Amino acid sequence: MTGHVSIRLASERVNHCVATMNEPPRFYTPGEVITGMQDFMRGHGTYTEDDCLKASVAGVMEKVNKLICIRPLKSRYVGEIGDVVVGRVLEVQQRRWKVETNSRLDSVLQLSSVNLPGGELRRRSAEDEQMMRKHLQEGDLISAEVQSVFSDGSLSLHTRSLKYGKLTQGTLVKVYPSLIKRRKNHFHNLPCGVAIIIGNNGYIWISPQNHEGVMEEQKDDDTVDQQSVSRSDRETMARVKNCIAALVASKMMLDDTSIMFAYEESLKYDSVKDLLDPETMLDISFLTQHRINNIMEE
Amino acid sequence: MAGLLLSPTEKNFILQGVQDDFRSDGRSNIDYRPMELETDVVSHASGSARLRLANTDILVGVKTEIDTPNPDKPGLGKLEFFVDCSANATPEFEGRGGEQLANSISNMMQRAYHSSQAFDLKQLCIFEGKQCWKLYIDILILECGGNLCDAVSLAVKAALFNTRIPFVKAALMDGGNIDLQLSDDPYDSKLLNVGSAPLLVTLCKIGDKCVVDPSAEEESCSVISLVVGTTGNSKFYCSQEEAKKLPNVESKCSTIGMNGAGSVAPKTLKDAIQQGLEAAKSLDKALGQALLRERQENISFKKHSYGFLK
Amino acid sequence: MPATDLLSSQGLRLDGRRPNELRRIRCRLGVFTQPDGSAYLEQGNTKVLAAVYGPHQASKSKLSTEGVVVNCQYSMATFSTGERKNRPRGDRKSQEMSMHLRQALTAAIKTELYPRSQIDIYVEVLQADGGAYCACVNAATLALTEAGVPLRAYVCASSASMAAAGAGSAGPEPLLDVGHVEEAAGGVVLTVAALPTTGHIALLEMSHRLHMDYFDIVLSRAMQGCRDIEVILDRAVRDHLAEGWTKQDVMTI
Repeated sequence: MTGHVSIRLASERVNHCVATMNEPPRFYTPGEVITGMQDFMRGHGTYTEDDCLKASVAGVMEKVNKLICIRPLKSRYVGEIGDVVVGRVLEVQQRRWKVETNSRLDSVLQLSSVNLPGGELRRRSAEDEQMMRKHLQEGDLISAEVQSVFSDGSLSLHTRSLKYGKLTQGTLVKVYPSLIKRRKNHFHNLPCGVAIIIGNNGYIWISPQNHEGVMEEQKDDDTVDQQSVSRSDRETMARVKNCIAALVASKMMLDDTSIMFAYEESLKYDSVKDLLDPETMLDISFLTQHRINNIMEE
Repeated sequence: MAGLLLSPTEKNFILQGVQDDFRSDGRSNIDYRPMELETDVVSHASGSARLRLANTDILVGVKTEIDTPNPDKPGLGKLEFFVDCSANATPEFEGRGGEQLANSISNMMQRAYHSSQAFDLKQLCIFEGKQCWKLYIDILILECGGNLCDAVSLAVKAALFNTRIPFVKAALMDGGNIDLQLSDDPYDSKLLNVGSAPLLVTLCKIGDKCVVDPSAEEESCSVISLVVGTTGNSKFYCSQEEAKKLPNVESKCSTIGMNGAGSVAPKTLKDAIQQGLEAAKSLDKALGQALLRERQENISFKKHSYGFLK
Repeated sequence: MPATDLLSSQGLRLDGRRPNELRRIRCRLGVFTQPDGSAYLEQGNTKVLAAVYGPHQASKSKLSTEGVVVNCQYSMATFSTGERKNRPRGDRKSQEMSMHLRQALTAAIKTELYPRSQIDIYVEVLQADGGAYCACVNAATLALTEAGVPLRAYVCASSASMAAAGAGSAGPEPLLDVGHVEEAAGGVVLTVAALPTTGHIALLEMSHRLHMDYFDIVLSRAMQGCRDIEVILDRAVRDHLAEGWTKQDVMTI
């Protein structure tokens, strides 16, 4: 039985750019003067020199009343309070865990910011410190919310709600943070049967629906780990993963509607592995963009 | 190379997928990810190729030099492999960080090309015992997305296919020293016969099954991986009429290597080697078709060089 | 002493360019997916790749509370030069180039914004045909812009040389953007890395000898080259933004 091998030439390369009707906005590049007026406050991506406000990154201007920021196309995740993130535990330290969230500095998850097993509310004792490793180890994935931002920009996370916590069976997809819109809800149960968590930091977690991807306090660790995922669930998850990859290649924004549209457009391709071909990816993004445009016009 | 950090449940998910013959991106255990190939990207080199396999990006340049042959092999030329892991791929490769990985890959390639049935070094001979060609094959790893060995061997074969060796026009014997005159015309050169050059196939053992073309996540799930080098089939690298004239040659295994901290049962090993030979055949065929297509493009109109620009 | 044969009687250089003409520059941002920012730049026959990782958490040994640590590496592929190069990096020239790269880029990066972080900039020369350092600085600027690292302004680098008068021209003529043939012919090479928007110079390096009388005109020719390159880089950045932005919404209140 031979497998599928495809080698294409550079001349057959596909351009993943999907055009839209919007006019390109006004761009600012590093060193460019935005305004010479004094009464604006400077936000991210700007600096003042010689009494002018200048851009320091390449991107579009975001003006909120008197605050001017420049938002670049691609950058490390800059956290804000209330954001939902998916992160990976890097280190277990004295009373906290170091979590990697695709930002400039590693984030921290304090021991006092997690729900203790049993759901009690009490002061953390010395035993809790030693049991930290039982709760979360190096390499574990968690979903959490940003509790506060330190002065140097690093984030402090918390998992105090039942919907946050350690993530079990599923697969992780990494994208640029700027492709994720800030929404009210980041936990979605897609109609096709998978649950996704769209982290603001660009990490997207896809898992089968019944477990909702979060470890419940009462269940035993072993049973959750060894529960196998059915073949149809696996196929749907792989399809969703490839659709996300197709949208990212065409630099389209990701949220539950665009992912669902892409999923529906991809159903005409029976075999999930066909979605890895560049032409198929472009086709899916193009049709998804078309559907989004139609909705925006209404 | 330091593997990606993965949680135990993620590893379990990948493991079960492999047992089911359905990986996390929908491929079966024997499917390859889409690849892209371009030859003649570096003009200073005698031959070059760039191969992109999902996230893995390899650039190969071949340089030719005149050298004296080994005294015990007077009629054969020389091949030397050099692998450089560029820091562009990951900050761990800064300075000498990637040296261990680079050495293991270049040793593997050197062993794969050692056999005369893999690559005939006689075609590099100029004057027996006195002068021969030495090919420096320089491999630059620009990005790592899993499955380096396969990508490297494909890129090397494509670069050798693209290599032009200048014709020797005249030779002056000057008291035992030979002075060669090479043809100045870049088109007055000969191509190498690389149809039988070996291709490496990496098989990762995950659970009980072996997968071909592992992604970076799958590589960090496996405890042991097997690399099988198989000689190619010259019939795929020439046109239909010429292929009929060539005799049928069975592909042979030219090197086997193992990486990792685990162990494997003899039966699994045998099955894996068989799987590797099959995969190498399909790779060879696809590569041959792509290279012939590109050569056809060169002949029909002036080829645009894309490189990294498109 | 200006070399005598760099300029022909018609006022053309060894590769057919005019004295104030740059080699053709073609570039592309975002060539790779793994690094935070990447760029490919061609200046004539010189081809370089730049990759930027960061800002990310600095390793304990390199941590600095004052600002971000900038870490550069300059590496040349073994097949990049006419004669095969044995070691891609680690020799004195590469280390010197890495230091120069670091100096030029640190002048532009707003380091005070990210204490305890580290930015890694890796440059790989694929083909060296003169002016490899300048091409590297230009490519690194593009990669930094793509990664969203705040810069004071673009950093552009250019080189200039000096030719003695050809028959019929007024006096010694400075030449812009020195190629390999001209470097090998033995003329002076002045390399300048500058922030053209502000006019400040981040790095200046010169080889061979040059009379002080000619220094100003050669320097101004090189600065003019930097300004021309900045226009080209800015155009490339805007094209890249336009390609990636048409699908995103912009907030203006």
